[in-house]
Amino acid sequence: MAAPQFAKTHEWIRLEADGLATVGISSYAVEALTDLVFMQLPKVGRQVKAGESIGEIESVKAVSDFYAPVSGEVVEVNASLPNQLETLGNDPYGNGWLVRIRPTSPAELDTLLDQAAYDSLIKSQPH
Amino acid sequence: MTELLVWLDEPAEGHANMAADEVLAGEAVRQNRPLVRFYRWSQMTVSLGAFQPIATAEAEPAIASLPLVRRPSGGGAIVHGSDLTYAVAVPRDHPWGDRPQVLYDAFHQSLVDVLGSRGIVARLHPGRGLQENDEGRLLCFDRRARGDLVVSGPSPDGHKLLGSAQRRLKAAVLQHGSLLLETPRGVGAAAAHAGLFELFPEARSWPEGAIVAAWLDRLTATTGVEPRIAGGPFAAAHADKIAAAAGRFEDAAWLRRR
Repeated sequence: MAAPQFAKTHEWIRLEADGLATVGISSYAVEALTDLVFMQLPKVGRQVKAGESIGEIESVKAVSDFYAPVSGEVVEVNASLPNQLETLGNDPYGNGWLVRIRPTSPAELDTLLDQAAYDSLIKSQPH
Repeated sequence: MTELLVWLDEPAEGHANMAADEVLAGEAVRQNRPLVRFYRWSQMTVSLGAFQPIATAEAEPAIASLPLVRRPSGGGAIVHGSDLTYAVAVPRDHPWGDRPQVLYDAFHQSLVDVLGSRGIVARLHPGRGLQENDEGRLLCFDRRARGDLVVSGPSPDGHKLLGSAQRRLKAAVLQHGSLLLETPRGVGAAAAHAGLFELFPEARSWPEGAIVAAWLDRLTATTGVEPRIAGGPFAAAHADKIAAAAGRFEDAAWLRRR
């Protein structure tokens, strides 16, 4: 399994053997939101551009957008996730995945952060 | 020291206030500094949280006569018109833009301090947690989240006077807050929460501007921001952008998105 890469907006993405990219939200972002209560996922078939908002997630007092790390077509969404939001916190890099995208510009993956760079980004966040 | 640009705006309708706040978020990014608007509402209006089901609001007889608008921020429904609303917009890379609780606590604790200096004991609620099903309660002032400003009341949860909620965008955080000054008029008992002036009659004599000034002074003392009152209303300075943004908040598709 390929190692995940990260967007500065805290989404992770992993290129799978079938050429699809699985997208989720980093454990750091999930922890920061706390007490998740609602999620809206994009529709399957939607064409998205890198950096475009593709869904929203609400915690007790905040609504956050999440963004497509790469351009492409949304080919699958984790439809059970909105009814099992605790999965995001328990398994953010596994069963807590959000969408699968068929990338149209795989080179966009090269612009994302690896684990070490993302860890550095988190450490530099103001507290 | 970070400058906090402050507007004390005239009352406006719901869609105009929401549009102005959306523009405020964009301006915070463009100017790379926090901005805040304090304002009132020109008519009694219920604002819904970003994902609250509209059917729940329409089924509540206590607010049946009031117009509805949907906020971009989360949280519960608020009856506006007898409250003082603020919207603060912060670039995501500002210290206030990191974890949600940081910005809540900055504004709420500073008002706790202001009230305390005037003899009113307030505190930040520790939060009831999801098991209390607060999300099932329509109205913000019936909910208790961590950091809500409460004063002593008939229940251990206290009486809530200030609640806030956020929209966390790619480059900015927009936080809405509502300080309940008086009991809303024209609503049923279920929405008729007592405000600061009913609970503490001495507060009625405080000029509104003095409350805001003391609040900003305390923010300076606790967070180091340097407030500066802007010249002229925010709405006038950004009329074109606000007019362009207002359409979305008037659109039934936005109001009825859930």
